[in-house]
Amino acid sequence: MRPLDPRLLTHATAARSFLALGAVLGLAQTVTIVAFCWLLSSVISSAIDGQPLGRLAQQVGALAAVVIVRSVLIWLVEVTATRGAARVKSQLRTLVLSRVGELGPDWLAGRRSVRVTTVISTGLDALDDYFGRYLPQLLLTVIATPILVAAMFWLDVPSGVTVIIALPLIPIFMMLIGWRTQAVQQRSWESLQTLSTAFLDLVGGLSTLKIFGRERRQFDRVRRVTDDYRVETMRVLRVTFLSGFALELAASLSVALVAVSVGLRMLDGQLSLAVGLFVLLLAPEAFAPLRQVGAQFHAAADGVAAAEEVFQILEEQPAAQQRDASASLVEESEVRELSRNRGVGLVPRVEGSDGGGSSRNPLQSVRGFETVAARPLSQRKGASSRVEVRGSSRNRGVGSFPRVEGSEVRGSSRNRGVGVFPRVEGSDGGGSSRNPRALLRVEQLTVTRGTHRVLDRLNAEFAPGQITVVSGPSGCGKSTLIGALLGFTPYGGRITLAGHEITPTDDRAWLSWAGQRPGLMTGTVAENVALGDPADEFDSALVAWSLEAAAAGELDGSEMLGVNGAGLSGGQAQRVAVARALYRSQRHDCAVVALDEPSSALDADAEQKLIHGLRLLADQGRTVIVVSHRPALLDAADTELRMGERAYV
Amino acid sequence: MSRTELPRTELPRADDSGADVPGAVDLRPVLRLAQPGFRRFLPGLLAGVLSAGFGVGLLAVSAWLITRAAEMPPILYLSMAVVGVRAFALGRAVFRYLERLASHDAAFRQLTDVRLGLLARMMPLAPAGLTRTRRGDLLTRLVRDVDDLQDLPLRVVQPVVTAVIVAVLAVAGVALLHPMAAACLAAGLVLAALLGTGSASILAAVSERRLAPLRGELTEEVLETVQNLDVLSAFGALGGRLDRVRDADARLRRATLGRSLGMGVQAAIVALFAGLVTVATLVIGIPALDTGATAQSWTLTGPALAVIVLVPMAVFEVFAVMPAALGAWRQVRSSARRVATAVPTGVPAEIPSEYSAERDTDESQPAQGFETGPTSPVPNDAPASGGRARGSAARPLSQRKGEGFSRVEGAEVRGSSRNRGVEVFPRVEGADEEGSSRNRGVEVFPRVEGSDEGGSSRNPTGHVLELADVAVRWPGAGSDAVSGVSLRLAPGDRVHLAGPSGSGKSTVAMALVRFLEYTGSYRLDGIEAREWPHDRLRKVVGLCQQDPWLFDESIRQNLLFARDTATDDDLIEVLERVGLGEWLAERGGLEARVGERGALVSGGQAQRIALARALLADFEILVIDEPTANVDRETGERLIRDILTAAADDARAVLLISHTPVPSDLVTARVTLPARG
Repeated sequence: MRPLDPRLLTHATAARSFLALGAVLGLAQTVTIVAFCWLLSSVISSAIDGQPLGRLAQQVGALAAVVIVRSVLIWLVEVTATRGAARVKSQLRTLVLSRVGELGPDWLAGRRSVRVTTVISTGLDALDDYFGRYLPQLLLTVIATPILVAAMFWLDVPSGVTVIIALPLIPIFMMLIGWRTQAVQQRSWESLQTLSTAFLDLVGGLSTLKIFGRERRQFDRVRRVTDDYRVETMRVLRVTFLSGFALELAASLSVALVAVSVGLRMLDGQLSLAVGLFVLLLAPEAFAPLRQVGAQFHAAADGVAAAEEVFQILEEQPAAQQRDASASLVEESEVRELSRNRGVGLVPRVEGSDGGGSSRNPLQSVRGFETVAARPLSQRKGASSRVEVRGSSRNRGVGSFPRVEGSEVRGSSRNRGVGVFPRVEGSDGGGSSRNPRALLRVEQLTVTRGTHRVLDRLNAEFAPGQITVVSGPSGCGKSTLIGALLGFTPYGGRITLAGHEITPTDDRAWLSWAGQRPGLMTGTVAENVALGDPADEFDSALVAWSLEAAAAGELDGSEMLGVNGAGLSGGQAQRVAVARALYRSQRHDCAVVALDEPSSALDADAEQKLIHGLRLLADQGRTVIVVSHRPALLDAADTELRMGERAYV
Repeated sequence: MSRTELPRTELPRADDSGADVPGAVDLRPVLRLAQPGFRRFLPGLLAGVLSAGFGVGLLAVSAWLITRAAEMPPILYLSMAVVGVRAFALGRAVFRYLERLASHDAAFRQLTDVRLGLLARMMPLAPAGLTRTRRGDLLTRLVRDVDDLQDLPLRVVQPVVTAVIVAVLAVAGVALLHPMAAACLAAGLVLAALLGTGSASILAAVSERRLAPLRGELTEEVLETVQNLDVLSAFGALGGRLDRVRDADARLRRATLGRSLGMGVQAAIVALFAGLVTVATLVIGIPALDTGATAQSWTLTGPALAVIVLVPMAVFEVFAVMPAALGAWRQVRSSARRVATAVPTGVPAEIPSEYSAERDTDESQPAQGFETGPTSPVPNDAPASGGRARGSAARPLSQRKGEGFSRVEGAEVRGSSRNRGVEVFPRVEGADEEGSSRNRGVEVFPRVEGSDEGGSSRNPTGHVLELADVAVRWPGAGSDAVSGVSLRLAPGDRVHLAGPSGSGKSTVAMALVRFLEYTGSYRLDGIEAREWPHDRLRKVVGLCQQDPWLFDESIRQNLLFARDTATDDDLIEVLERVGLGEWLAERGGLEARVGERGALVSGGQAQRIALARALLADFEILVIDEPTANVDRETGERLIRDILTAAADDARAVLLISHTPVPSDLVTARVTLPARG
């Protein structure tokens, strides 16, 4: 562990002013220490020499003043530390939050969000002790110790020599013992983690153990494991505590050596009592900061570890940069393939839905162009990325439904029930530049996770005015496809909307989405539905309509939700999330609406209402993409995109 | 320097303020559990007192040595002091080392007791009484709190007791030289302790009151932002949200800065009194110096003056651990409070405790309208004994059951009145009066009545489970989570328990394995379930939970504890039965690990492993709670078909809980719970 990470000073400017102020305070503390020791020893020696109290009053008064100043300084050091820590934490928090926002959801998905949250919120509180207890002592070690040693040298060379020999022994001993024990300590630390995890495992699984009648045996197991651990740990601690022992021993022995040598030399009259006492009082003070640094090492290590995690996030590469690298790799091999072998595993246009046969290019020809060695999985995947057209009788062609024009009746939409669209005011003017009737096209879409290709050269088209249901077994990449549309997941290949390529840095104004997880937040239902709008400027009629269309009409828009949408049942939360997507689709006139498992927690009636709502969106000319394997949704779909064929994944 | 605390799994602490409400929770049992007994505690304490005492002694003797040497006596007079200085210096370090070893050893030993003690408290409560820990992070928090309890002996009791003992000894020692100086020292110590802890407590309380809500607010903001990063980005709301977090952060920062002046007051007070006592001792001591001129009752030699002036400095240095100990105490106390809240003492009435059979028959249910069962809780031949021999002898029973259910198919009463919402069995006429349903519970089942007389329901070839008008309530709830449930499970029966989410399906499952107490009648083999010892009942009635817990072990270990005599072939067979054969091969066999809380397997896979476990345990009556919640439709249907067909073959009884439809050819009966308002 480095005593002071320079990155702390780079990232948190508040740390610099804290250090500067701390140095001044440290210097002042050193002065009071010297003054206190000098005044005390001179008063004692003068009194023993026979000076009455009256003559010493001035010195005693000065001593009292020094005592008061010293207390004030101690208080100031803590105040400074608190303020410094608060400022540094705030700075780091702001930095890391913005950074997490830049890195995006895909980066976050690879981590435990709880961990990241902790780092940002309370994890940084470990810096309190780092600033409050460790850094001031570190400063004092750097400032006070040399001054005190110099003072001892100046007055009594042998004492100075004793201290100057003993002082370096402390870090040397600590390092020697530290090296020896580091590996053992690490092992012990890990076994400690394991032990705690095992207990956690046990407590969490209690009901399971009870079902199988195994709960009684656990007492013995816990006792045995914990005792084994204790024996092992104590063996380690015996060595570990040696470093503390060395520190204590060096400090107290050098005080003893100073005392004895000063005492013996005073017998000869070589030293005055005042100097002798002064040196005796200074000796432990010279060791005190170093001892404190050692004692606060643990607190410091926690703080440094917390800061370390923040720095790691700050130095993380954003996904967009990674994407470029991986995408170009993929494209290189894909482009050749594409040029020779157009439409492998692709059923093109839904409109011209006679595509079935032509897409079945022989697999052999694909294999022939594979540049990478064996990819058995991807072959299967690629082959199975086909589109089945179902229920084509419902496929009435795009735009055959008359749009409800000009029904700008606000507030009354609820009475009319689903089916009347309160058109968003201003969206005609502002949003009309984006053509809502745009074909969404996915070409050679490839997503790689580690070495596994989740999506392998997927080609698909999603036609405007239609409901396309994406189905397939779990793990076949349905949600990954949505993640790629959102631009969260780095991918290779192209996604085009009305012929224009969508870039991951796009503002996604064309897309409205509801994920598997509702992702609701503190606030009213209406505020959740109108997410993205300023808090008091949302369109309440549209909110009511969205809730109705998402089969959540029974919810009161003004109902207050707790953290993460607490207060709603799972099914209700899901419907609110869908309503949020519907709201956005109207508010921003989104060309594409993508819903990931919107009805998994809905009963049949609610599902029918939802389907009705989706149909209305499609009839508005939007592209509606629904990931689902619910029969009712499949029946309602104009097109089904079946992905992957592996069962039991 | 050593990292001796147990690991701190960092978690957001937004729940701190919530779980920390001061209330009627009695912390003493938890704290008593955490504090080692006197004999275990004594070695560490002794070493601690010696080490701290030697520290004071070192300064006292050194000061005496130097001031005495200034008088230039023969060296002989100093030799004792020289030896003493060296001995104290050495002893201080040695005893400090021993203290740390002894006190850590004691704390670790105590940790075993703490864990076992809490486990014993949790055992009867799990799972229904431990709902406060149902969320994964809260459970982690509880375990961490338990670990943190060892700070009580290490960082609170040990330093405080040591400091007090050393202070008393030092005051006594000074009193031998000069009583006034001793009184002054004692007063200084007491004042410093009182003012220091008092001011620190007040400031900490105020700051907690002001800062804790802001801190909680910030944590919640951050948590929501991070967890919903995808939603916020997709809806273009991230920028505004980050501004909100920054505002929350700024509020906390301003409040912290505003309160910062209170920090360090305690340390400053201790330092101030240390210095003032030194000054005061000088003022008292100097006039008392033996100059021959005055004739006071107490005179001091020069070395004695040095001693009484310098000793307070050393004593206050020992005393300086007080602020840290006080801080540790606050943390221990809130940990103890969370532990005490999460793991209540005593078992609530809604959870059956192991020996409830006697208690219930004795006092709590004197007015039972039906027979209270045999005096010995369970007849020896009843449970599990006839498990394997399900053959032709089972026929007549299942045939009778077939008749019984002939009316059931059409009996899906949905949303009718609460009392009789679920009505599978033909009700006896006239059993409709309010309050009487319980007494008549038996009448509803004439066959059971008869079987008690004839003993035929204790048919060694299979177990029969019957619920009549059962209601179940969760601990602390004001009303029943489910009521009026009646159903019957005989060998070969496959009953689908349906109903919308929240209708109490899983609650019924909890009652069936006696995790929750019931009212009404729940009979196994004609004997009230209350009369059955839990472990014997659970040998017959098994539950495959909706949210199964996988232990952080290999797949083999996760299966073996269901039946430890199973061979690898058995395990592989049962995994194939639940459709995990291919997956097992991919994972590299039974040694593959499932990860912490099953992190390495998907939700659907975890459910199927749990199902395999239940099949392996060979429960004759198996309750399966939503086995297809996390798998896709085709897989789910195949899975249900496999389970139910296998159950039919084995003449096993299955209660399948599912909110999605189950093909009617697979089940023998369906019970639908009404939605609850």
